[in-house]
Amino acid sequence: MDLISKERDRLLQRSARVYGLSFTAVSALCFALPGAVPFPVLLLGIPLYLILAAALVAVGLSRSIWWPVIALLSGLGIVVVTAILVGTPSPSASLAILHITAAGLASLALVLTSSVPRIVLLVVGALAGVVVVAAAEIDSPAQALRSGGTVLVGWGLAALVTVWINAGVPQVAKRIASIGRAHRAERQASELEAQRRQGARLLHDTVLASLTLLAHSGVGVKPEALRQQAAEDARLLRQLRLGTAPQLAEPTETGTIPVVNPEEPVLGTTLESVKQRFGRMGLTVAWHGTGQVLLPSDVLDAFLMALAECLENVRRHSGVTEAHVTITDDDKMVRALVTDAGVGFNIDDIDEAKLGFAESVVGRLREVGGNARLFSAPGSGTTVALEVPRG
Amino acid sequence: MSKSDTIQFSQPEENTLGVVVGNARRAVQSTARRFSRAASAHRASLGTAFLGLGAVIVVGLRAVYGLIWFASQWEVYPEPFAALAAWIVLAAVLIGAIVMSRVSGDRLPDWMFGLFLAGLAIAFALDVIAIWQLHDIGGHATAALTAGMALLVLVALRGRVEILAAAAVLGVALIAVIFLDAPVDAFADADWVATQVTAIAGSVLPPIIGVVIIESFRRMVQVELDRVLVQSTVSAPRFAVGMLASEELARLDLAAEELLDAVAQQKTKLPLTPKNASVAAQLATELRLHLIEGRRETWLYHAISESEQLGKSVTLSDKSSLAGLLDPTQRDGLLSAAWLLVADVPSAANPRRRGTARTLSIQIGPVVPGAGTVPAHKIAVPITVTSTGVPRNRVDSGVWDAIGRIGRYSDSTQDASLRVDIECIVDNPADQ
Repeated sequence: MDLISKERDRLLQRSARVYGLSFTAVSALCFALPGAVPFPVLLLGIPLYLILAAALVAVGLSRSIWWPVIALLSGLGIVVVTAILVGTPSPSASLAILHITAAGLASLALVLTSSVPRIVLLVVGALAGVVVVAAAEIDSPAQALRSGGTVLVGWGLAALVTVWINAGVPQVAKRIASIGRAHRAERQASELEAQRRQGARLLHDTVLASLTLLAHSGVGVKPEALRQQAAEDARLLRQLRLGTAPQLAEPTETGTIPVVNPEEPVLGTTLESVKQRFGRMGLTVAWHGTGQVLLPSDVLDAFLMALAECLENVRRHSGVTEAHVTITDDDKMVRALVTDAGVGFNIDDIDEAKLGFAESVVGRLREVGGNARLFSAPGSGTTVALEVPRG
Repeated sequence: MSKSDTIQFSQPEENTLGVVVGNARRAVQSTARRFSRAASAHRASLGTAFLGLGAVIVVGLRAVYGLIWFASQWEVYPEPFAALAAWIVLAAVLIGAIVMSRVSGDRLPDWMFGLFLAGLAIAFALDVIAIWQLHDIGGHATAALTAGMALLVLVALRGRVEILAAAAVLGVALIAVIFLDAPVDAFADADWVATQVTAIAGSVLPPIIGVVIIESFRRMVQVELDRVLVQSTVSAPRFAVGMLASEELARLDLAAEELLDAVAQQKTKLPLTPKNASVAAQLATELRLHLIEGRRETWLYHAISESEQLGKSVTLSDKSSLAGLLDPTQRDGLLSAAWLLVADVPSAANPRRRGTARTLSIQIGPVVPGAGTVPAHKIAVPITVTSTGVPRNRVDSGVWDAIGRIGRYSDSTQDASLRVDIECIVDNPADQ
């Protein structure tokens, strides 16, 4: 049985309990009014009321068919005891009887529609209620008819409510299922979206570089250059957001860095954009060697990132404003030498990790099967050799 | 610095990597709730319109019964026209409310609700005036008693508190007029008292029972919706970022875009103020975290954190992210078992049972090499499900079916907690 049917049963059980208990309480109140019934009847009736109340509480918790049976027997027992011992019930006793049979017991109809035995019990319970009540009022046929009718209406009403709720559940289940299907599609879309955003690594790397500059309040960079850089990044992010894959823009004008690459993009155009980016931040990059190298996009990504990282180190630490990048390639590898004539450093003195070299440069290149080496000495500049396979 | 110059960046409570800022549980839950709130306006009304229609029918039947009773007493009334006026007002209010509820849909506007209550009050007053001299309000009132039942019409259109408060006010008013109108020795007469009690119960209890049914129905819809939404994780890839993370990444991207745009458009002056600079730094950190490590969580983690109900009661321990290896059938089994074991968790709607909260902990792994006989290219992942608050004999039979779909299992009971050890055979990721 599926979860919603269980929840529905629980709902009906709980409703039956509240319904039954509240009218049982009202009935007990009428029953216990001084003078409503003789003392011996009261003495017999009270335990039966307690049993009925306990059975109704249990109906709210358990799905066993025996609790409704016990409730029915104890409820009808109250009527029978009153009828036998009293003869013609007083008006208040009549009302007590009606509250029990037409509402307190009728509430059981809520839990008696889900299977054939239960429906049988429902019919039996309703008829027994009518018969017992009519028999109790037999001295006045008009009253017997009225009370019997009221009991029938009470059970009918409870059954109607049950049928109505049962009819509402499949409707709502169907609608929930369609919401679920829509949600599954949404989840897949969001998964794709996340992949797309995470896949735009190059874009995010340049965005992160810009954010990091801003985090240092943009000190050390010309405001104009930083603004231009920010505008460029914002434009790329907007493209990403609007769903159009950021395209290779004309390299000379905007200096866009490609994010979603065609199969084998041209290295030269993207190198140009890296150059422009650093140009804006005050580092002149001079290119030498091959400009037209084809690389798979993931390799290109890693290569450019490593390159940009090296240039960033030059910009920050070398003390000069010019760097040279020499690109060479053979059948298997593409290599880049990044050199500057800056202050240099003693490799042994400086922890590579501190420069972010191991993680951001070597790590990235190794992911795609490449490598990087660092050469430097105090006063004689720094050289970094990067290499990646041609795919 | 002007206020508009400050860059706004809303702090996330949780960065969806499981790295949580502040109180983990609360943060995860509030994120999940924020996520689910989008649909909740729609949720609350799912299916209740149909129940509301049923309530209208019940009220209609009750009104017809009241009218017949009224007609049969015409001769008895000292002021029959006041009672007639009461019925006319009541009928107008009811028809108006029914028509408006069909037109306005999910919710009756406040002013209309006020008008409805005012109409009921007038009908009540007129009816009481009509029978005041009979000194037996409970025995002769008709429209005044039907007014209580009439509240049922709105049971699907207004909050439970409002309906219950209206019913309570009506009950108090009824008791008050009965007392004021009572003959001197009436309270010694059991028959008279029983009639009054019956009248009060007959008008006050139906709206209360109606509220109980509607509230339970809404709860059922919530639980089912929660379950169905989370069910979509069953077909998720081995590692997924989850709906929250994807949303979060989009949000961070947008925040970065706005910040960079503000700089580019010169809305934010350079160099940045320390405050804005720290916003940029924070954004960069968040973004970096999301980009690097966003994909370590499994479908099960997302299912639990996105679900209001599972999130409250299930703790997951899956250090090696082995849950991702389960196939869709096994995932469905595990999720179904979890649902069935926690389904009775007390909710806001039912806080009384907070004492017996059911909790569930799911421990996945570690894989013990060479344990048991495993087919080639498969590995056995041990899963331990420990549940508290459910006696062994009250565990739903569906739980065992569901667990059977995950793999072979054995169960044991200890100190009122149920422990199920499952051996789940999955494809060996090394062979893929």
